[in-house]
Amino acid sequence: MKTLADLKKIREKAQEDMKLRGGKVRIKIVVGMGTSGIAMGAREVMKTFLEEISNRNLTDVLVTQTGEKGLSSMEPVVDLIEEGKAKVTYGNMNPEKVKKVVVEHIVNGRIVSDYVVATGD
Amino acid sequence: MQDISLHLLDIIENSVRAQAALIKVRVILSPAENKLRIIVEDDGKGMDSDTLLQAQNPFYTSKAEREKKVGLGIPLFRQNAELTNGSFHMTSEPGFGTVLTVDFDLDHIDRMPLGNLKATLLGSIIGHPEVDFSIMLIYRERGKEQSFHFETAAIKEELGDIPLTYPDVIEYIDQSLYEGIQNTNMEDV
Repeated sequence: MKTLADLKKIREKAQEDMKLRGGKVRIKIVVGMGTSGIAMGAREVMKTFLEEISNRNLTDVLVTQTGEKGLSSMEPVVDLIEEGKAKVTYGNMNPEKVKKVVVEHIVNGRIVSDYVVATGD
Repeated sequence: MQDISLHLLDIIENSVRAQAALIKVRVILSPAENKLRIIVEDDGKGMDSDTLLQAQNPFYTSKAEREKKVGLGIPLFRQNAELTNGSFHMTSEPGFGTVLTVDFDLDHIDRMPLGNLKATLLGSIIGHPEVDFSIMLIYRERGKEQSFHFETAAIKEELGDIPLTYPDVIEYIDQSLYEGIQNTNMEDV
């Protein structure tokens, strides 16, 4: 069983980690979780992002869920927001595409233009 | 939606949109009563009785940014419950919040599966760090009851300024939910 004592250990480790790299969030990922997004597989998209963050030990990434954003025909939709850069919106996402975006965009800094459906605010 | 936990995710998103600070999710699996019950209770802004009625109408949505005024989430969940001899009740009070109770007959041949409850809960908890979740899973069989209780407020307090998306924290929550779902026999319902 997981206990709060396990969390204490995680906290200590994470604080060390944050000291080393200044605790900055480099990329924010926002997964659209409106009704149509959910029906089109957004939950699996979210799940895959969380798995990838955990497996690759990405400590400077934040993932959140949000409601619909008026791109229903391209769901599941994901925004990647980096400080000082234009927002990139990926559409028609699935777990395979998420894995590619994580490797290419988040780890290596190269936008996967094939999946981009919008850029800017 | 192919399963109940996808509907649950949709309902949780409604609560988030209603600015809930605390969302209570109860899943009760009771073979003794042939019942699967889902309760979602939030302390969001709530609805007056007109809006509550409209929310159950497929041609209504609270999402102002949408061009097409259809909101299928709640009506579809209702339909999926009622078509399989289940029931669907939503009550709400402006300023206090909303409670939804959905019952399914466990053995109805057309009942949707519960599906990936863990993915629904994990994504909601981590994807909405500003919202606290109180999760309770209860399994009831004749003469025995097993339950799993998970409060994210306690976890956040323990973590301080460490975000929920920190890899080890994701793993911690994932593993806790996995164990809870196993212990209450909700994996393959």
